[in-house]
Amino acid sequence: MTERRRVVVTGLGVVSPLGLDEATLWQNMLSGKCGIGMIRAFDTADYKTRIGAEVDNEQLCAAMQARGLVSADRTVDMALAASGQALQQAGIIGGNPPYTPKDLATIFGSGVGASQTMYNSFITFTQKGVRGVRPTSVPRCMANAITAQISMRFRLTGPNYVTVCACTSSTTAIGIAYRMIHDGYADKALCGGSDTAFDPATFAGWNNLGVMSKNPDPGKACRPFDAGRDGCVLGEGAGALVLESLESARMRDANIRAEICGYGESSDAEHITSPSPDGQAKCIKAALASAGMAPNDIGYINAHGTATKANDECETKSIRLALGDTAARIPVGSNKSFFGHLLGASGAVELIVTILGLEHKKVPPNLNLDNPDPACNLTLVGEYGMEVSSPVAMKNSFGFGGNNAVLIVRRWED
Amino acid sequence: MKQSSREKVDWDAVTAESTIESIGFDSLSILDLVYDIQQSFHVEFEAESLAGVKTVGQLADFLKSKMA
Repeated sequence: MTERRRVVVTGLGVVSPLGLDEATLWQNMLSGKCGIGMIRAFDTADYKTRIGAEVDNEQLCAAMQARGLVSADRTVDMALAASGQALQQAGIIGGNPPYTPKDLATIFGSGVGASQTMYNSFITFTQKGVRGVRPTSVPRCMANAITAQISMRFRLTGPNYVTVCACTSSTTAIGIAYRMIHDGYADKALCGGSDTAFDPATFAGWNNLGVMSKNPDPGKACRPFDAGRDGCVLGEGAGALVLESLESARMRDANIRAEICGYGESSDAEHITSPSPDGQAKCIKAALASAGMAPNDIGYINAHGTATKANDECETKSIRLALGDTAARIPVGSNKSFFGHLLGASGAVELIVTILGLEHKKVPPNLNLDNPDPACNLTLVGEYGMEVSSPVAMKNSFGFGGNNAVLIVRRWED
Repeated sequence: MKQSSREKVDWDAVTAESTIESIGFDSLSILDLVYDIQQSFHVEFEAESLAGVKTVGQLADFLKSKMA
């Protein structure tokens, strides 16, 4: 296929610790509200880190019920709720089932997959042995349960699969969907990500790894680019976007939210957890090349900005390495101080926030940036947010395992 | 059964004569039903022994015999 087509966003859906719809999320971010609190999902008495950003259970149940969806697994449920919003906003589906088959690919990213169902399944095995394991744990626990359920419930007949690459999972999923449409393999795709790490065992791993903040104050712990940062804070959530070719969107008079202009990816090939500026810079340059753009076309960078000592310093280096002299004046913000690190869902949800920022010509603040680290010598968005008139933004994602993924997105102007 | 069924069912209309299939069970979800019954009622049986059980009434009789 040698077709090269423009790819636009015609629907968004989000399930986040700061709201289960884009308007609530955006309002909360503009007002500086932090979605990080004491973890309620399980007893954290024995953990060094006891905070995280959780999605409201009642609201999630209500969202599922409102759409006639039966609960499957937390990660799957969040993905379903976000997908329903995006598909309905794009005019692909109406309110409730039954739905007629529609030719969309379904590509989601997830770092840990159906983690809660897997955790419950292993617990049952240790308690009750072989016969205690639910027979349907196979299709329930497989990581592609996420897209399988989306495809089945909403009757999406394009290919469905999950991309697993840690923190880059959903950025990669969106990138693959972008390429599919750009290169003429599909007209429409539903893409995004979903993740949760809030089960006792998964969280224990993170607890012991030592990359999470030990600050007990939930509102102050996550401090991207701040000199006093001491680690990331985890969050859970899901983001979904409907991507389609510009031609398809125009033909059905769809409302266009943004344009995905380019996508770049690379691997550090260095260390399994520590990032490398060379690999990241290579990725940023690839994204720019893919979009046919130069560094001075970028008006805002939605950073990976996890608030670990390592990431923020490395990301600063890679932005400067890739963008040269222009790097110094492009405003940079991290959303993770608001809702934590959503792992495999971070790319999707943060891209959605970026799109909202482009629409509103305004970007949210970096929370807790009281004392910018001199090593993070970028133009960091301050405590009041910033007006951004430029129509183009870059979304960075850099993951454990060394995979890097960057998207370039432009505000849609007819 | 409510927990394991995948269909929207009018549970009030279900009678002893209702077939298990009509309440939304296929060959996969019946495995969930068997599992849930085994765990909830602490009965042991192989899924195959349900072969002749087609209706809700027959299922109830089967369970009673296992618990006797």
